[in-house]
Amino acid sequence: MNYIILVVFLGGALLTFFAGKINNVLQDILFLASILVPASLFFAYVHAGNIFNLTLGGIHLSLGINAMSWLFALIVLGLGSMAAFYSVSFMKGKERRGYFYFNFILTIMAMTGILMSRDLVSFFIFWEIMTWSSYLMTVYNGKDVQTVGIKYFVFSAIGAYAMLMAIVVIHSINGSFMIEDLVRSFPEMPVNMQILIPVLLLTGFGVKAAIMPLHVWAPGAYSNAPMAYTSIFSGALSKMGIYGMVIVMVSLLSYVPEGYWFREVIAWMGGITAVIGTLWAIKQDDAKKLLAYSSIAQLGYIIVGIGIGTPLAMMAGLFLAVVHALFKGTLFLAVGAIERQTGTSNFREVTGLIRKMPWTFVASLISIISLAGIPPMGGFVGKWMLYESLLTSNHYLLVIVIFFSSTAAFLYCYKFLFGFFLGQEEKEWANVKEAPVLMVVPMLILSFFSFLLGTYPGIILKPIDAGMQYLGYGITQNHLWQTSVIFNTWGNQVVLQPLLYSIIAIFLFFLIFLTIKSFKQTRYVTTKDISSSGEVPKEHENLTFSVDFMQPFMRAVEPVMRRQIDKYYTGLANGLEALFDFMRKIYTGNGQTYAIYVIVFVVILLLFKDILF
Amino acid sequence: MNELWFDIMGAIVTVIVAFVVGITYMGLSRKITARVQNRKGPPFYQNFIDALKLASKTSAIHHGFMQHVGPAFMMITSIMSVLIIPVLRGNAWFVNLNFHGDLIFILYIMVFGPLGMALGAGQTGNPNSAIGVTRGLSQMVGFEIPWVMALVALMMQYHTTSIVDLMNVQIQSGMWLMFSSPFAFIAAVMAMLGMFRYSPFDIVGAPQELASGPMSENGGKYLFTLMSSGSIFAFAKLTLYVDLFMGGAGNLVELVIKTFALYLIPMLYGVTSPRYRTEQSIRWFWGWPTFFGFLAIIYAVVF
Repeated sequence: MNYIILVVFLGGALLTFFAGKINNVLQDILFLASILVPASLFFAYVHAGNIFNLTLGGIHLSLGINAMSWLFALIVLGLGSMAAFYSVSFMKGKERRGYFYFNFILTIMAMTGILMSRDLVSFFIFWEIMTWSSYLMTVYNGKDVQTVGIKYFVFSAIGAYAMLMAIVVIHSINGSFMIEDLVRSFPEMPVNMQILIPVLLLTGFGVKAAIMPLHVWAPGAYSNAPMAYTSIFSGALSKMGIYGMVIVMVSLLSYVPEGYWFREVIAWMGGITAVIGTLWAIKQDDAKKLLAYSSIAQLGYIIVGIGIGTPLAMMAGLFLAVVHALFKGTLFLAVGAIERQTGTSNFREVTGLIRKMPWTFVASLISIISLAGIPPMGGFVGKWMLYESLLTSNHYLLVIVIFFSSTAAFLYCYKFLFGFFLGQEEKEWANVKEAPVLMVVPMLILSFFSFLLGTYPGIILKPIDAGMQYLGYGITQNHLWQTSVIFNTWGNQVVLQPLLYSIIAIFLFFLIFLTIKSFKQTRYVTTKDISSSGEVPKEHENLTFSVDFMQPFMRAVEPVMRRQIDKYYTGLANGLEALFDFMRKIYTGNGQTYAIYVIVFVVILLLFKDILF
Repeated sequence: MNELWFDIMGAIVTVIVAFVVGITYMGLSRKITARVQNRKGPPFYQNFIDALKLASKTSAIHHGFMQHVGPAFMMITSIMSVLIIPVLRGNAWFVNLNFHGDLIFILYIMVFGPLGMALGAGQTGNPNSAIGVTRGLSQMVGFEIPWVMALVALMMQYHTTSIVDLMNVQIQSGMWLMFSSPFAFIAAVMAMLGMFRYSPFDIVGAPQELASGPMSENGGKYLFTLMSSGSIFAFAKLTLYVDLFMGGAGNLVELVIKTFALYLIPMLYGVTSPRYRTEQSIRWFWGWPTFFGFLAIIYAVVF
């Protein structure tokens, strides 16, 4: 069954691409079918243990699924299906639909393939397909290909070569490409190999997971791709890096003594990534860039959880991975909807959409609350487990770093909601309509799940538990999860259900107290009809507040923001360019110059032949 | 079923106590401020009169749905925190949700309301409201750092994240945590200055600059809700400090004395101080308070 799914994906991609020549509706239907059919086949027929083997040119390829990759496949195919529905409406009337659909399906296929791979060769092949298709999506708009596209490409290439090197090294030691063999033989390898192989693999995975200092490609690439795709890019594709990291950190490094240092370094890198991502997200004026930096920060939390690697931390990391896919997927889709309806995603231009796009607002609100980690949403459960795991494993400074980053995250959360939906309603946007149903419904479904997981995290903690037991965590019984109670190792607990009921009861009581009468008695007035020091503002007065939104905070953290890793990379690139310019003076591309080189060489040879030979 | 009714009655009693105590403190603070500035000042029950007046008013206009929802969000935070924070030791009426949440949960439910209210303030379109909100959120990033450091120090030292457990530690050892973890107490009290938003940290409301900031478009019942929520929230925060650092309280009189002693700190500090700019305020919190926070963590790790 395993290979049939991949074949359906591939065939669907090709059919969809060529169907565009015939009929647009047919193309849409084929596109949906080629995502949904393999996805439902996957969940119906693929189980841990049924393995498909293939020998190709003497290399043994093997496809199968385990409990861990099943969890990630849930993210990929679940978010993928939602984004697919959204894409149909999103791409209506846009050009190059075939190109978009083809790469979309190919990305989903490649990710499924990565999760199924049991050997490093097919892993690498699918990894490259994923990189290529996402690169093509990044340059879909044809904008900034020089800067954004090249940056993404260079970093992906660095990651891919590092991974390829690791694979070759592993093969030369083991004589086998199978991941199982690697896991089995890793503890007996010499110490330098035990360091080299994880470093190379983590470089490869770190690029996709946008870990500092390999994150510089992400803001550009995330914001340049079409939003329907970016929700997968940030929600699912980055999780492939996390998936790889889980394998390296748990299956390889937990069995060797150096593993401890790897864990600490990776966890701290994750923490620093979270802080940097958050601070830069606050500064952005474009919603896409803001969410892109926010993704980097959120991936930082996940990496912290995986880096610490205690059962609770691992659970927190994986739970955050699922929740991040839900809320960040929703938010990118919401930005896409706003961009489609208004033509821009810049906070300085769009304001006051709440009355025009109420459902988009509801979906964004729930997702933002989840992102901020506020109860009773799913984000809170993940954050809670992360803090408790850091506290119980004595990472007292890292917990402060994470706390700083997640408190500062409130700033950009508010900026996102205020910038788009609240504030002064301007005439320019008076005629904006709500996005089509096919775009709104996937957003609402995704945000409903992030609400559900906040009260019943057990739904997703069970598959996570199964995955962790596959990885060899025997002692998850400490946190034996009922559906809605979360524990830490010290025995402290949060019981989510009564909390949710209380919140809802208080909310409803005050909503009734405030609104039932008020809705009858009060009338709606425009946002120009406000008290401003006793004067009524005139119609032409501009009261919109969106420029330099978080200026006081940016002033306070200004010294930190002066240093940018991007500048160092640009410096390096400029240095290399100067070197290449110098090389070009030698390799001019002119035949006559080369002829002179040859003659000079022969003359030198003739002059010094007695000395040389 | 009876148990449920008992729980609900207990919750209502808790909220009423919190409301009365909190609003009396606010009235007293007006009186004390006035006496320090050599004015006569309003009577201490003036805030009750104000609240009653606001509650009986009707509004004429609104700016949209979020404006209705904002105060309700704010109320969730206040009531949830007063229900989760143990008010009295071992009193059946005040148990509420004490055992259902821990410190991390409190920290996060405490920001739910301000963020929700910020959304309500945002929809009114008043630029002063939005400016107040951005200032408030920025300042929160400032004072949360020393506050969290103090809490982390306590949690590390006593290996628990539950408030009830921390209270029990103090009863067993017979020593308040403000003496056994002095640096954590100093950091937490310094963070408290920002939490209560008296001068010099009153940059959110900022009467002369922002015309009371986020609240400026709210009147009548909305303002009443915000006001009562503010007083309940103040009581909840004070109770949390008493629970964590002063061993909790056995009866209401003890609680009132302890909380009022704590309440005097930000108030009296505020009476004599001018207002900071936002970035000055943030940097103030990242200076000495954070230093004491570090000391607290080191103290907790070493001893």
